[in-house]
Amino acid sequence: MRILLVEDEPTLRAQLRTALAEAGYAVDEADNGRDAHFLGDTEAFDAVVLDLGLPVLDGLSVLKRWRDAGRALPVLILTARDNWSEKVAGIDAGADDYLTKPFHMEELLARLRGLIRRANGQASPVLQCGELALDTRSGRVTLAGQPVTLTSHEFKVLDYLMHRPGAVVSRTELTEHIYAQDFDRDSNTIEVFVGRLRKKLPAELIETVRGLGYRLVAP
Amino acid sequence: MNAPQGADAPAPTGWRWPGSLRLRLLGATLVTLALALTGAHGWLSGLFRDHVLRQFDAALVLQLDQLTARLEFDAQGQPLIDPRRLSDPRLDKPYSGLYWQLDQVSPDGQTRRGVLRSRSLWDAQLALDPDPLADGGLHTHDSTGPQGDALRIVERSLQVPEQPQARWRLMVAADTRAALAAADDFNGVLAASLAGLGLLLALAALAQVAVGLSPLKGMQRALLQVREGRTARLQGRFPTEVQPLIDDFNGVLDRHAEVVARARTQAGNLAHALKTPLAVLGNAAAQAPQSGLAPLVAEQVQVAQRHIHWHLARARVAASQGLPGQRTPLAPLLAGLLRVMDKLHAGRGLDLSTGEPAADAAFAGEEQDLQEMLGNLLDNACRSARGAVRVSARQEGRQLHITVDDDGPGIAPEQRAAVLQRGVRLDESTPGSGLGLAIVVELAQLYGGALTLDTSDLGGLSARLSLPAAA
Repeated sequence: MRILLVEDEPTLRAQLRTALAEAGYAVDEADNGRDAHFLGDTEAFDAVVLDLGLPVLDGLSVLKRWRDAGRALPVLILTARDNWSEKVAGIDAGADDYLTKPFHMEELLARLRGLIRRANGQASPVLQCGELALDTRSGRVTLAGQPVTLTSHEFKVLDYLMHRPGAVVSRTELTEHIYAQDFDRDSNTIEVFVGRLRKKLPAELIETVRGLGYRLVAP
Repeated sequence: MNAPQGADAPAPTGWRWPGSLRLRLLGATLVTLALALTGAHGWLSGLFRDHVLRQFDAALVLQLDQLTARLEFDAQGQPLIDPRRLSDPRLDKPYSGLYWQLDQVSPDGQTRRGVLRSRSLWDAQLALDPDPLADGGLHTHDSTGPQGDALRIVERSLQVPEQPQARWRLMVAADTRAALAAADDFNGVLAASLAGLGLLLALAALAQVAVGLSPLKGMQRALLQVREGRTARLQGRFPTEVQPLIDDFNGVLDRHAEVVARARTQAGNLAHALKTPLAVLGNAAAQAPQSGLAPLVAEQVQVAQRHIHWHLARARVAASQGLPGQRTPLAPLLAGLLRVMDKLHAGRGLDLSTGEPAADAAFAGEEQDLQEMLGNLLDNACRSARGAVRVSARQEGRQLHITVDDDGPGIAPEQRAAVLQRGVRLDESTPGSGLGLAIVVELAQLYGGALTLDTSDLGGLSARLSLPAAA
C-alpha cells in the first residue's frame, strides 16, 4: 500500500513518515500544495494524508482539484482546524476522513487502514480468502488458524492482493503500490515475492493470468 | 455577560412620560397655542370695546355741539335752550338714558347745579365734581345716573361775553350699558370662534407630531428586526434628518461584526499555530517510551491541548455574544454535519436518521455556534452509539428544540450533571478532550438556551438542546 503524505512541518512529516513506514506503507512526501497536487494527479496512491495549511496551494484547493479531475483516491485530512464548520467544508470538498491535531499516531493508522479497506469495498478489518486470513490491525496472517511468517515485502504483496480478492492485478500495479516513487523499481522482484508466497501458502491461491498479472482466488 | 435578550424582554410600548418626545412637542405646542389665542382674544375684545366707546363719545360730542349751538342768553343774562329745537326724542322721555344739564360756576367757585336740564332728567341732577377746565375745553367723565345707570358724560366749559365773570358747564350724558352689552356679545362670539380655531390647531398639531415622529416608529421596527435576527443592519429609507443616525448605527453594527470576525480568526490562528508543535511533541514522546521524559511530555501535551481547545471555544463564545441579526436555517446545517458524521464514523455502520424535519426551523444565532453545539452532540452520540443515532428538531413558538438520541450505554442520572462540566470524560479510552458537552452548555447559555440530558427511547442518551428560534 502506498501513501502520499502532505505536511509542511518537517519534524511532524518525519514522524509521520517513520510511523507509516513501520506500519508497512510505502510513503511519498510533499511539503507544499503544488507538489502534492502533481503527485496525486500522476501517481497511484492507496490513500493520502493531507494537511490543510500548506504553502503555495492550500490543502482544500488541492483536494478540490483532484475531485474535479475525477481522482477518487481516499483522502484523510490531518489538520489543526477543528471547527465543525471546517470539518463540513473539508468533507464537502471530497475528504473521506478528518483528523485534528494533536492526534494519536495509533488513531491515524487505524483510520488509514479503515479508509483503505472501505475504498476497496472491505467492511471487516480481518480480510478473508478461504482459510487465509489477514488482520489489518495487527498485520498478522493466518492459514487455517496457524500463523504464517512473511517478510515485509511478501506481506505488502499479499496485503494488496487481499484487498482486491478476485480482481486481476498487473505487475506494474503491484510495483506502483508497493514501492515509493524514488525507489529503484524492478517488476521482476514482484515475481520473486509471488513465488515465495506460493511456497508459504497453498500454491493455487495466487493465480497467474497470462499477460495480465495475478489474481487471488479462494480455493 | 449580558442577560439574554429573549422573549421575556419587555415589549416595546407607546410613548411614556417623562421621556416622551410626543408629549413634549404636544405640550409646547398646546401651551403656545393657548397663550396666543388668549392674548388674541384680549387684544381683539379690548380693541372692539375701545372702538365702541369712541363711537359713543363721538355721538355724545355731536349732541353737545348741537346743544352748545342752541344755548342763548336773554336780556337779564339768563341762559335759555329751547327743547323743541333739539332733535333727539329721548331728551324728552323721562329717564330715557340720554340727558343734558347746564351748571353755573360763579367766580368764587360756587357751583349752581342744574340751571337748565333736559326733561328726561325729570327730578334728578347730574352731579359732577368741580373741574377747572379751560374755556371751550372738552372733558369726559364716568358716573352713575338717576336710575343707577352707567353714565358717560361729556362736558364743555363756556364763558360768554355777556357775563364775563361767570363760567358755564354744559354736559351731555348717556347710558353706556346697551353699547357695552353689544361689546360683550361680540366677546362671546369671539371667544367661541377662537376656541374653535384652537381646537382645529390642536388637532393639526397632533397630526403633525404623529407624522413627524413616524420615522422613529420605523426605526424602532427596523431595530426590532435586527434584534430578532431577521436582518443584520437597519433596513429602509428614512428622512434626511434621521438617515445619518441610521448610517452611523449601521456602521457600528458592521464594525462590531468585523471585530468579532477578526477576534475569531486570531484566536483560531493562535490555536492552530500551537497544535502542530504539540502534535510533534506528543508523537516524539510516544515514539520514545523508554525515555523518562516521555510520560511527562505526553501528559503535558494533553493538558495543553485541553487548554487550547477550551480557550478557543471560549474565544468563539465571547466573540459571538450579543451579535445581532443572525438567522441560521437548521436543515442545511444539519445535513452538512450528517455528511461529516457519515465519513468520520464510516467504519461503524451507524444508522443516522433525522426525525420529522422542521423544514423552516431556524436558529436566532450564528451558524458556527449552532454547528459547534450540534457537531459536538452528534459526535458524542456517534461515538457511544451501538448502531443508531437519531436527530429530531421541533420549533415551539420562539424556542427551537433539537434532540439527539443514541442507542449506546447512556449516562447514569447521577453522572449527568458531572459530564456537563469542563474536562470531565467518563470513558477515558475513547479520544476526545472531554470538553464537548461543557462547550455546548456554555454556548447554549449564551443564547439563553439550555442542554438537558435524559434517557433515550432508543436506550442510550437523549441530549436535548433548547435554543431561541429565529422567526
